Amino acid sequence: MESRQLRPIYSALEQSNPKHALRECDKLLRKHPNLHGARALKAFILARAGEIQEALALGQSLLDTPAAMGNMHVYRSLSMTYRALARPQEEIQVYKAALELNPNNETMLCDVFMAAARNRLFKEQHQAAVQLNKLYDDQKYLWWMTVSLYLQAKYLDQEAAKVQLMLAERLIEKLVDRLKSTEELRVYLDVLDEQGKYEQMVKVMGAQGQLAKMIANDPDLVTLRISLLVKIEDWEKAMEAAVATLDERDNWADYKLYIEALVASISRGTDKSDQEKAVFSVQANLQKWAATTGRARGARLAQVALSTQLFAAGITDIAESPEKLVWSYIEAFKHKAICYPDVMQFIVAHIGNTKDSQREATLNYYQQQLEQQLSETRSSASQDENHAQAWVTLEKLRYLVQALKGDTDPGSWLAGIDALLAFGLTSAKARKKQAACSDMALVASQRIIQAAFFAYGEAETREQLHSALFKSLCVMEAGIRLNEGNFLLKLYAIRIYLYLSCYERARAIYETLNIKNIQLDTLGHLIVGHGISLGCFAADLELCYKSISFYDKFRSRMLNDIQSVYEEETYSNIQDFLEFQSNLVQSMQHDCTHRYALRGEGLEFGSSKETLAKWKEADVSSIEHTEESLDTLHDNRDTLVMGLLTPHNMKQWNLEVLTRSMPMPGRGWIQAFSLVPQIMHHLVCADADALRTKAAKLATLIDRDALEFSEADLLFARGIVELTSLYIKATDKNDIADHLDKLLDSINANLPEDDFDSQPNALFMLSSDAIRNLSAATELFTYMVSLRHALAAQRLPAANIVGPALSQTRKRALKLVNQLRSWIDKNGRLLIEEQWLNEDACAAVSRFVVESQKDTFAMVSKACTTSWLRSVRNILMHWEQCTF
Amino acid sequence: MSTIRRFRAMDLFRFNNINLDRYTETYDVQFYLNYMCKWPDLFTVAESPADTLMGYNMGKLEGEGELWHGHVTALTVAPECRRLGLARGLMRGLEEASEKIHNCYFVDLFVRPSNSVAVSMYEAMGYILYRQVIDYYMSDGVMPSEYAYDMRKALPRDVDKKSIVPVKHPVHVEDTFF
Repeated sequence: MESRQLRPIYSALEQSNPKHALRECDKLLRKHPNLHGARALKAFILARAGEIQEALALGQSLLDTPAAMGNMHVYRSLSMTYRALARPQEEIQVYKAALELNPNNETMLCDVFMAAARNRLFKEQHQAAVQLNKLYDDQKYLWWMTVSLYLQAKYLDQEAAKVQLMLAERLIEKLVDRLKSTEELRVYLDVLDEQGKYEQMVKVMGAQGQLAKMIANDPDLVTLRISLLVKIEDWEKAMEAAVATLDERDNWADYKLYIEALVASISRGTDKSDQEKAVFSVQANLQKWAATTGRARGARLAQVALSTQLFAAGITDIAESPEKLVWSYIEAFKHKAICYPDVMQFIVAHIGNTKDSQREATLNYYQQQLEQQLSETRSSASQDENHAQAWVTLEKLRYLVQALKGDTDPGSWLAGIDALLAFGLTSAKARKKQAACSDMALVASQRIIQAAFFAYGEAETREQLHSALFKSLCVMEAGIRLNEGNFLLKLYAIRIYLYLSCYERARAIYETLNIKNIQLDTLGHLIVGHGISLGCFAADLELCYKSISFYDKFRSRMLNDIQSVYEEETYSNIQDFLEFQSNLVQSMQHDCTHRYALRGEGLEFGSSKETLAKWKEADVSSIEHTEESLDTLHDNRDTLVMGLLTPHNMKQWNLEVLTRSMPMPGRGWIQAFSLVPQIMHHLVCADADALRTKAAKLATLIDRDALEFSEADLLFARGIVELTSLYIKATDKNDIADHLDKLLDSINANLPEDDFDSQPNALFMLSSDAIRNLSAATELFTYMVSLRHALAAQRLPAANIVGPALSQTRKRALKLVNQLRSWIDKNGRLLIEEQWLNEDACAAVSRFVVESQKDTFAMVSKACTTSWLRSVRNILMHWEQCTF
Repeated sequence: MSTIRRFRAMDLFRFNNINLDRYTETYDVQFYLNYMCKWPDLFTVAESPADTLMGYNMGKLEGEGELWHGHVTALTVAPECRRLGLARGLMRGLEEASEKIHNCYFVDLFVRPSNSVAVSMYEAMGYILYRQVIDYYMSDGVMPSEYAYDMRKALPRDVDKKSIVPVKHPVHVEDTFF
């Protein structure tokens, strides 16, 4: 009967028509107010519609009616309601209430377990597992119990951890002969590992029979066994195990452990001959493996690692010279693109471990080798891809050696660049899209950028910096034209376009990278927020929404992933999944994107009524931050993908940092831009006390964390503080004059200059701060319009002062922005040719661009001009719409 | 040479050097997690001595009876790490797991015929063209639409090599579901 009555509601839900479903619910409930199934379904529909309080009240009324829980419609709908509302305790309450009516029901007990597991309620999940294990003869429940105990010990109760782990261990001991998979074995190992019982782990892994077969077929466990032997300092057995494994397979982790065991063992010994014997034995094995077909790379790199570590441990007399081994490795593998990343860490480590007096000699050794080989390699590059790749590898090494020598001479960074450009961009091989050629274009671009920052990094020479960076863009775009697949060229091009205030082209390149899903979290920082700072507000907002939708989708689905781990019994995933979820749910990039979205929405223009409603209805409580909440944020942004040729800690050579057009937003920035919407909300709601507190906090933050903000962001945030002061003082119209003047001065000072076209450095101003400052001024003006609307509703006399002043500013802005637009349209490309191409900066590159990349130059020049025009037109349109 | 190990969810934060390659698809997070959950030993990644990710192979198990097999869903190697035999190493890992752990009859995969480098590699590893699948690859704005080669390699359990008797006529996508 009830099913028939509820059918229209289910049908409407199946057709994704919640409004109709709700109408059907109400219709049914008018006739049968106590029909529990309909009430539960209504709670679910309300929860999905965001009517949280109503859904909770309805849910609670059902929970308070124990008999209702015997109804399967209620059971399902109400549990789904609480899942949708992320209220796991109440969800579990539903299951438990139903269990009272159906004691020992396996499905319901499993539901309790899964609800707890999905929500990290480890104690509750353990209790459910205990009950399941007691009632049902299924080994799986014993594992659920064990895993729950382990998770409690690891994440919850430190005091009880010891007992919980012991209990878990005992449970597994009963099963040890019946292990079905390595997944179960891994649980056992985790339990022992958490207790520091490494010897026992080794013993378990040394078992014979089926277990031994399982371990042998699991490459991770084979390596784990060696690492455990190292951990318990059984060096001899560790080395034996490593040798046995390396005889069978070529796995870097095993080489590393082999070397670690050797170095640790001989570091403790004192007998020289024993030390020599041990080292020679390892060296002999490495040589043996190096001679095996297909294994030379691993074994020879292991030789490099061995000598580097022996040097680091102070055992220099037995070790072979690391630099000679490195060079020998380079000679053997320079034709492989991986060669450079392979050796870079060892070169850096060895230099770091070398005394000052020796350091220069070592670097000179590399330099001499490079000089000898580079000219030969250059001349043979056209033979085949291997030779061309060898050249790239040596160029990368030259880059590193220069950086390690502390070379800051722009001339030496540009040395040899003409050959790289010619081969990389104009040779027959380049036209055939040879991968090494686009790598040459990339190295050349990196050299130009590096040289540019050394030559023109200071404030007084920054005009030339832009000229040099423009040339690097020409090189990168030429490289991209030849090989669209080189994503590193694209990443650097995005960075440089943004540095030169060209959002549109940067965004277009970003789109070709097809960045989506998880990449929005790790790579979104490349572009998100830059549109706001460069006048492309709507484009940025669209991207923010795309990212936010990814995060929302993940949040709504992620709980099922943990459930799947238990269902599939692949327990080794649990910790990894928990960590991953926590990193993504508490992602710093998520919060940055969300705040940028709020800024974008703040810029959306509407009538006075709409604007006030927007700020009034804004849910600002969800973006209130504390130091503790900020501490939980994870920075997943991938900056390593930029393919640096030097270690990240070498700041002067870190192109990823140097090419940032604005600081990477961090904790202070997130806090500040969480406060701005809160301030606007309190202002519109006339909550002066909250307003004062928030404005004071914002003022403190922008002083304390000023380095986290771009100049334009600082300008805007300071404006918001000033705007708050104006509002607070607006009870007496005379009081606001000072604040109003300050705000308008701040906006006016950041509009384009009246005589912009006659400025000698107009092109530099345009590509550095002009558009950014104009964007910030535009944003601030928009907020002032909101202020004016709030004053009109609350303090009319003050609004009557603010209004005319804003009109005047708007009129002026329209004139100046329009002038700027015309000026760019008329002069942009012309000035680029005059000032950026013919400058002395990077003369070799200028010559190359003029002589052989005319088309690319025209394209880049047009892309820059079009991008600036797009930004300025957007801003102009915004001012035009910004009426009140 | 690299460290070949199981793929972890945390690797998704740092696989951009592989996935920014235009031929490599970045799927929904749940897609990866589902593979890790269901077939953890068939989803492996190669890590370099410098601790960067070099390439990965996502695989799954499907079919019943004599059609029980390992399937390669995605095999990809970062541009910098090509020409090292890494793809072969990752494939060997999947074949071994399919054979020794899961007792499969064969391993199969789909590949674009235009990807001649990959087709040659699979052929050199003993895979044969089992059948062609019409309209398997849809255009995604980067790559064109294309039919697929369904390639197979028999494992020792398939003593009579029944799984690799080629199908003469092209089939539709729906005919490839297990």
